[in-house]
Amino acid sequence: MRLDLRTDTADDTRAVGAAIAAVLEPRDAIALSGDLGAGKTTLVQGLARGLGIEDQVVSPTFTLVREYRGRLDLAHVDVYRLEHEQDVVDLGLEELGDGLAVLAVEWGDAVAALLPEEHLEVELTTEDPTGASERRRIRVSGNGALWASRWEELAIALAPWGTTP
Amino acid sequence: MIVLGIETSTPQTAVALGSDREILGEITIGGKARQESVIPALQQLLRWTDVDLAQVGGVAVGLGPGLFTGLRVGVQTAKTLAQVLGIPIVGLGSLDVLAYGVRSTRRRIAAVIDGRRGEVFFGIYRSVPGGVVRETEPAVRTPARLVAELEVMPGEVLAVGNGAILYHDVIAEMGPRVDFASPTTAHPKAASLVEIAAARLLREEFDRPVDVVPVYLRKSDAEIAWDQRARDASA
Repeated sequence: MRLDLRTDTADDTRAVGAAIAAVLEPRDAIALSGDLGAGKTTLVQGLARGLGIEDQVVSPTFTLVREYRGRLDLAHVDVYRLEHEQDVVDLGLEELGDGLAVLAVEWGDAVAALLPEEHLEVELTTEDPTGASERRRIRVSGNGALWASRWEELAIALAPWGTTP
Repeated sequence: MIVLGIETSTPQTAVALGSDREILGEITIGGKARQESVIPALQQLLRWTDVDLAQVGGVAVGLGPGLFTGLRVGVQTAKTLAQVLGIPIVGLGSLDVLAYGVRSTRRRIAAVIDGRRGEVFFGIYRSVPGGVVRETEPAVRTPARLVAELEVMPGEVLAVGNGAILYHDVIAEMGPRVDFASPTTAHPKAASLVEIAAARLLREEFDRPVDVVPVYLRKSDAEIAWDQRARDASA
């Protein structure tokens, strides 16, 4: 299951995050990938807005984990500074938000084996190497029964940014 | 000898005071993890049972597997008390304590603690006079894998623990030979810790404090494969 999207501005990328939030349920996990500056935190800001979180979402690169309260709680994690898988295990991701939080993990693709098996993958790429353009390609992939049952709903929610028929 | 038990490996926080003969008191707070309540609950328990901390002759603590945060707080609290009071400490596996709570059954015991994110910590036990013995070492698996392991074992099974309750429907697919223990036995009891540890302490079977560490079953020796980050750095 895969959706290819395109956004033209950072606000657009946030709107994609908010649209994804609409189909999320407690304990869902999202692995975000993409180069530095690709817009992972920007997308999570939209996700937070869609989850009814009012606090400002900032990068967790140096704090490793930031937790937010909303319609669903959100645990925003960044594993960029970690070297060992055990460091990720020690974060106790499965306990964040009393085990019910939505997990959004930046650079999650590098530690996919340590995330819940059926997590959503969101890959952001920028076409402009100078970073000046806010245009992004976003690929959303899901696996397993958990996402199969929601895929149609997700596809409809993300249709405004779709590049595939 | 009065023994203090501290159990925080599940979302139930519990402290108990007692000996091998009787439990003087136990405070259990459930629903969600409240590690911050360990010390206030202990203070309250000491007051209510009229026990002075100086009378406590040993500390027993649940080592997990279980919740990270709870284990860190529980184990560190127990070690600190043992050190400050100059008394021995005993660490016990949470699955062992959980199985011990239903040792009167004749069925094989599956002790199952919710490991969060779709997995359970479990161990399989059988009861023997005076306690339980492990048939399998503690492991972390999906509930379906637990069922697969149980299905190749003959006889009737009693599933106990908050993981058994959470995944009742998955485990129940084993059919009529599996039964479920009461929710009142679903968490390792601090009173059970006291009971087991008191007997050990009387036999002078202490643990070295340095060996009393949480049991983390989710372990990895691997380094994160940072192809992506390396590419960024060289860009």
